[in-house]
Amino acid sequence: MKKNKNEKELLSAYLDGELSHDEKKYIEEQIKSSLELQKELVDLKKLKDLTSSSMDRIPDSPFFETRVLATLNQNQSVKFRFKKWMPVVALSVLTIVLMIVLKLNPNFISNMIEEQKSNIAGFYKENLRPLLYAANLSNEDIFNFAMYQQIPLDSNKQQILKLGYDPQGKEYFEIKRADENKNDQKADNLEKFVSALKLDKQGEEQIDSIINSYSDQLSSLVLVNDKNSVAINPTIWNTRKAILADIISFAQKSASVNFSKIVPNEIANLDVSALTKWADESKNIKDKQYIFFTPDSIFKDDFIFDMAEFKKNMKNMEVEIKNLNKDSKNIKSFSVRIDTTFSNKKNIKNRSQQFKIFADSDFIQVTIQNFNIPDLNIENLKIPDFDFIAKIINESTQNLNIVKPSVPQMPVNSKNYNYESNKTKSKNKIRVDINLDSLMNLRNLITDSVRSQQLKELQNLNDSLNLNFNYFLNDSLIFMQNNELKKEMDNLRRELKRFRDEMKNYENKSDGKNQNNFREIKNNGVRIIQI
Amino acid sequence: MNSEENKDMEQPKILLLDDDFSLIKRFIDGEESIFGELVKRHKDKVRNIIYITLNNGDLVDDIAQEVFITIYRNLKNFRFESQFTTWIYRITINKCKDYLRKKNIRRIFLPLKDEEAEPVFESINEDIDLKHFVRNAIAELPDKLRIPIVLKDLEGFSYQEIAESMQCEIGTVKSRIFRGREALKKILQPLEKELME
Repeated sequence: MKKNKNEKELLSAYLDGELSHDEKKYIEEQIKSSLELQKELVDLKKLKDLTSSSMDRIPDSPFFETRVLATLNQNQSVKFRFKKWMPVVALSVLTIVLMIVLKLNPNFISNMIEEQKSNIAGFYKENLRPLLYAANLSNEDIFNFAMYQQIPLDSNKQQILKLGYDPQGKEYFEIKRADENKNDQKADNLEKFVSALKLDKQGEEQIDSIINSYSDQLSSLVLVNDKNSVAINPTIWNTRKAILADIISFAQKSASVNFSKIVPNEIANLDVSALTKWADESKNIKDKQYIFFTPDSIFKDDFIFDMAEFKKNMKNMEVEIKNLNKDSKNIKSFSVRIDTTFSNKKNIKNRSQQFKIFADSDFIQVTIQNFNIPDLNIENLKIPDFDFIAKIINESTQNLNIVKPSVPQMPVNSKNYNYESNKTKSKNKIRVDINLDSLMNLRNLITDSVRSQQLKELQNLNDSLNLNFNYFLNDSLIFMQNNELKKEMDNLRRELKRFRDEMKNYENKSDGKNQNNFREIKNNGVRIIQI
Repeated sequence: MNSEENKDMEQPKILLLDDDFSLIKRFIDGEESIFGELVKRHKDKVRNIIYITLNNGDLVDDIAQEVFITIYRNLKNFRFESQFTTWIYRITINKCKDYLRKKNIRRIFLPLKDEEAEPVFESINEDIDLKHFVRNAIAELPDKLRIPIVLKDLEGFSYQEIAESMQCEIGTVKSRIFRGREALKKILQPLEKELME
């Protein structure tokens, strides 16, 4: 059987012409002697024919090489494939490295962020200087701050900081562009206040020194620098109240009568000692935390500003500058030391909810959510509503106008106006042609005509003519009329007196002969007087 | 003398033009556009091998393209130790085997119905095309028996060529072809009469 199988295998190879010379010779001999192998060979030959004829050749594909070459151009080389996988490989490597780093040092990212933050904070905290030096705060500004809670941030007074309370009673800051018109209006509030109190010179000096004493404190609460960042200490709210309290208590002490005239009794009768105590206490409260407004962020951070040291530095610098001008050498640099570490605030949570910020192109408002202004807890002290007081004082001083009446020159050259009385005096005859009614009538006619004319003009022209209009409607016109009338009356009285004297003489002379005449004259009034 | 010298001179020129090796050398030297010529020369054979190996005309061009892309990428590493054609056929057979392997894996996940439906449908067909029947019979053979048979009987490969393409011994090829034919005979047994007529 095995032999048989072997022979059949040889037969298959024989058919394919794949046998060696010896094998071929051997199998040919076997075929001759075996019918079975002969039949097998025939069958195999038929099978081979069947298989080789079972399949046609596949039809030609004329554009095959074009397609292959096009595909090859698309993905050129193995290098290209590597390039394709490059980002994936790089990303996975990076991921693995990050995983390892984070495994070994879980705080890596947060540390990095904190570091960046303190870098940025440091950048914005550089060269912060008090507002006093940046904006040249005047007493007027400080007074306005106490009254209106707004204070300029730069010397040109283009930006202002405004404190306020939103409807929920939360404090908010606003930094906005100053409204020029408003600024003009509020230019002399302190002056008005002082004049309302009718302070003497000493009093003026006192109030100036009181307000001035706050300028240092206020300046150190608001710091600005040339990188447009503003640092505000929340105690500024208390300071503002303290200034107001000091002003009120001073006003009450030194000008209580005038002060009570301009403010309601409840304010005028406030407990002054409590107020001063409150103001003094609030001075001692200090908060290290500043709120920083920068062009791209708002954050809260510790910042210790030493006013004394700053002043010392400034003085030194002034000296240095003088020396510098002398020999222009040895430039020293001055800096204020700043604690920029964030270490103590790592535990603060919900940072995003600290501030509520509204911003516009020239306006930013920040409401502080979870923020407590250091408060005073003095027992038995009723703290008045400072905003209300400020409002009252503002209103009362606002309405105090210093009246400088301007008397216009009346154009009294028209003939109609001029009344000439008795320029020609007769020795014998006294002829007085006065009729007061007619005089007034004439006067009224003239003014009426002028007024109506003006009114007509006004109807057609715009408000700029108001001045002109006022000019004619002014009381001074009546005043002028009265003056003239007085003169006329005086003249008349003199004439009458003379007339009476003459009449007496006449009576004495004629002894009642001319009684009728006299009556007649009396009846005719003053219109026609004949002697 | 002169004529003999001229002949010697011309001989390499002809070789240079026709020989695969010279084309491959030019390709390796950087003349990549010559690859188109190689494709043109061998595409028919490659496509036909794929066609008969898979017994399916639909995928021939796709697989042939894969074959030539593989050749293109590896041609610079060609070592001139064997014939270029042998190398090409080996790659082609390997690609076909890859495809068949994937197809078999895929078949595992296909529902049984689909697999059986086709042969039943074909056997019921009254107009039995003999060629078609034989093709189906060949297709039923396992790959390792079928591929040598089709390469031998349809493509006229020598045992040597088949062995090199399939990376096996000549004896193995011989044995497989024999076993394949025996198996084919058994499959075609019911139709012996028609076939033998």
